Amino acid sequence: MGVLGWIVATPAVPNDIGGHYVAAAYIVFILLLLIYVAIMAAKLARIEKGLGEVAEIAEARKAEADADQAAPGRGSEEPSISDSLAPHGSRGGGA
Amino acid sequence: MYGKGLRPLSIATVVMFAVTLSLVFFYAPIEADQGFLQKIFYLHVPLAIVSLCGFVIGGIFAVLHLRRDDPRWDAYSYVAIHISVIFAVGGLITGSIWAKGSWGHWWVWNEPTLVSFLIVFLLYATYYPFRYAIEDRQRQARYASVFAITAGAFVPLNFLAVRMSASLVHPRVFATAEGGLPGSMMFTFLCALASMALLWTTLVKFELSAKSAQGQLKRLRRALDAPSGPPASRIAPEVN
Repeated sequence: MGVLGWIVATPAVPNDIGGHYVAAAYIVFILLLLIYVAIMAAKLARIEKGLGEVAEIAEARKAEADADQAAPGRGSEEPSISDSLAPHGSRGGGA
Repeated sequence: MYGKGLRPLSIATVVMFAVTLSLVFFYAPIEADQGFLQKIFYLHVPLAIVSLCGFVIGGIFAVLHLRRDDPRWDAYSYVAIHISVIFAVGGLITGSIWAKGSWGHWWVWNEPTLVSFLIVFLLYATYYPFRYAIEDRQRQARYASVFAITAGAFVPLNFLAVRMSASLVHPRVFATAEGGLPGSMMFTFLCALASMALLWTTLVKFELSAKSAQGQLKRLRRALDAPSGPPASRIAPEVN
């Protein structure tokens, strides 16, 4: 019987009242960590989405600047960044 | 910038936790008086100690913020307190579970250790409404720093007061007349404490990294809105 067998055979958490409380305490700890990780994952997803929006705006601006350079004399009719961002809802909302 | 070294730190935390849990359940002996229930001790006590130390560290960062007027220290202070509050919640819940198993009650109001920890927790719970009640960023950071310093100084004073109090129903394991923990239990406990400290550090770095990314995204948006505006002098994580 190797180390793995020894670990499996060892009653790590006894099935008595003390074992139940110990299991509950460790489960609470793991749950707290999971909740924290889930909240952080949601935050990071929001940041990722925001970065995508900013990258799109920057690329659109660059494309317009390139078009302006290629055809001089054309008027600047580009919408403001505020207008570009408006339909997306919150602007840099905090967590 | 804030995420530098996060990966090795995370790996070290996971490895340390695996070692600690193995020690807790397969190496540390069953305590004669409390039996298996005492295993909660390896979780509850490090959570409480690390959260209290985190509050003090938050206060030290706040001192550095006021001295150097650098918003990064305010962010460090905020994040240290934020993670410590989460750890304190864990300490309170696991402590309550232990109390129910050992004393038969979820909470004992005449026990100074429990009540003093609750007072510290409630004190820091007011940090968030206090901070966000102030709209001006600079004032918010300054007032929050003053709060963090005052509350951070209160933590060790509170700890000393409890240690000197007469009623000691709550178990004491260090520096008692009856002696401390046996070697194997002490080793396991120190590993658990190191794991919890590593976890705290990892989460602080992770949170700072996320806040820094959030702050830089806001700066990017502002820069795209007003491209001719002056550049920001410092890059600090946004605290909101």
